[in-house]
Amino acid sequence: MSEHSTMLTEVAAGLMRDLCTPEDVVAAEATGWSDRLWSALAEAGFPYVSVPEEVGGSGGDVADACALLAVAGRFAAPVPLAESGLLAGWALAAAGLELPEGPVSVAAGRPGDVVELSGGPGRWRLTARVQRVPWGARSTRVVLLASVGGERHVVSAPTAVAQVEPGRNLAAEPRDTLAWDDVPLADEAVAAAPAGVDPDALRLRGALGRAALISGALQRVAELTVRYTGERQQFGRPVARFQAVQAHLVTIAEEAELARLAVEVAARNARPDPGFFDVAAAASVTGEAATVAARAAHQAHGAIGMTKEYELGQLSRRLWSWRDEFGSERAWGRELGRRLAGAGADELWPRISTGLVSA
Amino acid sequence: MQFGATTLTPAEESLRAEVRDFLAAELPADHRPALGFAGRYDPDFSRKLAARGWVGMAIPPEYGGHGRSAVERFVVAEELLAAGAPIGAHFVADRQTGPTLLHFGTEEQRRRFLPGIAAGEIYFSLGMSEPDSGSDLASVRTRATRVDGGWTVTGTKVWTSEAHRNHFFAVLCRTSPMEEGRKHAGLSQLIVDLHADGVTISPIPYLDGSHHFNEVALEDVFVPDDMVLGEIGSGWQQVTSELAYERSGPDRWLSTFPVLREFVREGAGKAVADDEATVIGRLAARAWAIRALSLSVARALDAGEVPAIEAALVKEVGTRFEQDLVEALRGAAETEVDQGTGTLFQQLLAEAVLTSPSYTLRGGTTEILRSVAAKGLA
Repeated sequence: MSEHSTMLTEVAAGLMRDLCTPEDVVAAEATGWSDRLWSALAEAGFPYVSVPEEVGGSGGDVADACALLAVAGRFAAPVPLAESGLLAGWALAAAGLELPEGPVSVAAGRPGDVVELSGGPGRWRLTARVQRVPWGARSTRVVLLASVGGERHVVSAPTAVAQVEPGRNLAAEPRDTLAWDDVPLADEAVAAAPAGVDPDALRLRGALGRAALISGALQRVAELTVRYTGERQQFGRPVARFQAVQAHLVTIAEEAELARLAVEVAARNARPDPGFFDVAAAASVTGEAATVAARAAHQAHGAIGMTKEYELGQLSRRLWSWRDEFGSERAWGRELGRRLAGAGADELWPRISTGLVSA
Repeated sequence: MQFGATTLTPAEESLRAEVRDFLAAELPADHRPALGFAGRYDPDFSRKLAARGWVGMAIPPEYGGHGRSAVERFVVAEELLAAGAPIGAHFVADRQTGPTLLHFGTEEQRRRFLPGIAAGEIYFSLGMSEPDSGSDLASVRTRATRVDGGWTVTGTKVWTSEAHRNHFFAVLCRTSPMEEGRKHAGLSQLIVDLHADGVTISPIPYLDGSHHFNEVALEDVFVPDDMVLGEIGSGWQQVTSELAYERSGPDRWLSTFPVLREFVREGAGKAVADDEATVIGRLAARAWAIRALSLSVARALDAGEVPAIEAALVKEVGTRFEQDLVEALRGAAETEVDQGTGTLFQQLLAEAVLTSPSYTLRGGTTEILRSVAAKGLA
């Protein structure tokens, strides 16, 4: 991690230690949102890390954003940090659109989504229905990718004029369906998408962001499980002394470290944008790690892990949702496998050993 | 935890390119890949590799070696293993005995053995396991008795790889009786010439029918004082540090990689089914991530750190991966395999099915590694 990343994560972790305690996370469940935390993060410029300073972002690169998201994952932060800089901010800045005040989210381009942009300068109109938008209703704007006459556009759609069907993921994080019914848009809300700003690139960034969140949450899951099994006494000794429980601790440590390094390598190789092989591999590894480690952590904790008050559940419920968002480990594995098979047997090892940097 | 993501320098990458070129020139096009470091024994290949400076890389130049870094050794080892090169003759001497001699050997022993190891000409086996001592190594019963000018050794070692072809083995034995409550004291390591009087080597037939392992019976074998490795009574400390050296390298996660590559080759030109693609992608992704952990340990060793817990984790997760790969490919291939028949992929799959249970046993079982690692996590 670079010095810049380290400083960034230390500041962010300090802020979250104060404003995003496990009690805060439980309290935020009613709305899926912490205003206090978001305000503090926004004041420090964290939402727009990795967006260039020249256009109003906070500077830094994709690796900085991922390092920050690992902190957010660790604290189960109930705010759309992954959506604001790495996704929405990236698309808006690239298209030359204004970065809005307040939270901003993005439509992932899911099957069944409809986005119809029509008209032109001075007479843009939007009809759209997009599903599972993270903190959609809470955001001031939602970024959509739309095509007009074969040309891709970035749309900064105002949520104030959208119809909202609220939704939640397994961790009660808002995943709202938003609809715009032939709504007029200001010229400042639409711009042509430059090369490289497309649904595939958005999906790569989305998956890398989720992988980073997972990697941070897994670090905390590992710590919690070591602590709890060292304190919990059964049969007259800490349960961590039992080999069967130790096996769980080792599994969690391995998966957490595999996830952390996978994200670090993929993020570091994103110069400036994340590459397919890195992200696919990292998403496959972190999805599997989330599955295996959450299971082992719950088994090692026993019944206490199943209470809503205890911190583990806040993390495991997020892991169970994040692993599927922007593509599951299976979906990414399948796509990666297809491309590797297409590249041929003798290309397989060179790609694994060079960190899969190039496509 | 000290795992840190690291990249290879341009110099390290160009070393990789040199090894790839060498392998392309040396391995015949129809070469059957070996599975893992013990997969194939070929002294000619070992000597050629040594001539390029890629054996004894950790040994300093004054002892005939090359004074290269742990990461450089890592790069060479992963290229050899990924290609399935026949490295069985020299690998144990290179990975394990060389560093042990360097750390604990006398000046005379270093001069006697290290140049031969680095030349790919002197091969060592390990003399740890016994019929009644596996994971509980301190319980070894092989006993050395003091005699004029040295020791006489009596006992039986088992699972001694390539003892019938190698030159020496480092025998862990009791040089003083076990005392109550101090079972790690009184152990020593002696270098025994596998051709010495009183040494009887007999094969332990392996599951796949190969002759790789042996039982080595020692009956009053004389070992001169100058063949004592390290200090008398320090055998336990030496052996445990030796195990730490060998734990986390590419030989702990790449053994079955050639099976995956041949699976991909077999599918070339055909449409890849969804479940086949998923298996290929997920195995490649996992190998990529485990490699990052393993490489990070090599980098930490070069920085003078002692990543013992990390090394145990890499071996635990890496060797399980080697086995999972075999089962995943078996599932995807939906084939019936026999030894020695069928396509190259089918033959390698059969070999892997028969030999892969050993990966999570050799060099410390999964259970022992978990116990080592868990103590460090607490």
